[in-house]
Amino acid sequence: MARSVWKGPFVDGYLLNKADASRASGRNEIIRIWSRRSTILPQFVGLTFGVYNGHKFLPVQVTENMVGHKFGEFSPTRTFHGHSADKKAKRG
Amino acid sequence: MPDRLILLGVIGRPHGVRGHVHVVSHTDDPASLAEYGPLVDERGRRFVLRWKTDGIASVALLQDGREVPVADRDAAARLTNTRLFIERDRLPPPEEDEFYLADLDGLAAYDAAGARIGHVAQVHDYGAGVSLEIAREGVGPLLVPFTRAAVPEVDVAGGRIVVVAPAEMDAELPPPPGPLPRGEGEGCAP
Repeated sequence: MARSVWKGPFVDGYLLNKADASRASGRNEIIRIWSRRSTILPQFVGLTFGVYNGHKFLPVQVTENMVGHKFGEFSPTRTFHGHSADKKAKRG
Repeated sequence: MPDRLILLGVIGRPHGVRGHVHVVSHTDDPASLAEYGPLVDERGRRFVLRWKTDGIASVALLQDGREVPVADRDAAARLTNTRLFIERDRLPPPEEDEFYLADLDGLAAYDAAGARIGHVAQVHDYGAGVSLEIAREGVGPLLVPFTRAAVPEVDVAGGRIVVVAPAEMDAELPPPPGPLPRGEGEGCAP
């Protein structure tokens, strides 16, 4: 069942403080978080979080189309021996 | 890197009695697997794929420039788990400031001062931007986002990248030992 709309999105409170502090510092930094359950909010766009997957902090660069998803969705917990094949990457 | 082989797909179980097979494609667009031309396996055999329906293809073996189709189920079953590769130099050149993930793998990593840190052990891409895992000797791996700020220099031909590791907030904190006490970590509606 979906979460009731009147509650608003769930986010651990300390994430907001960390995001504010990171944005104010203006530095190139990664915000380490363990809160995989928190919803990605619009004010997180542009920041980079290191989301713990039980093993390491995977960098998650928050973009607009990630808003509304949970942090944990972008930091898989299972070992992935992926095949890069013909996939390409541009530097963000 | 003319001899490097890049894994593009795997032939799976046979489908039907006409020699068709299931094919797992690892390409960005799965359907583009057949557009790369003949694919090579570990034994040097060359295959031509033609998609029949979603995920199912007919296979032909290239022998002396001729296509010999795989026509029956038994022949198709013998190809199960055959891995299909392409030579790296047959992939189209990437655009400006674009890199194949396979090319980034294994590059030597240096810091801004020119000291060697380690090498790229793995490239992660889970939908939230590409990140590089740098294996270092004696210490744990370093994970950096693949951004201009963190990786200002990429020299694939020279086999090196320059890494400016971003600062980490609360880097000194270990992971929390267990569930948070009741009342802590409670959510809030912003």
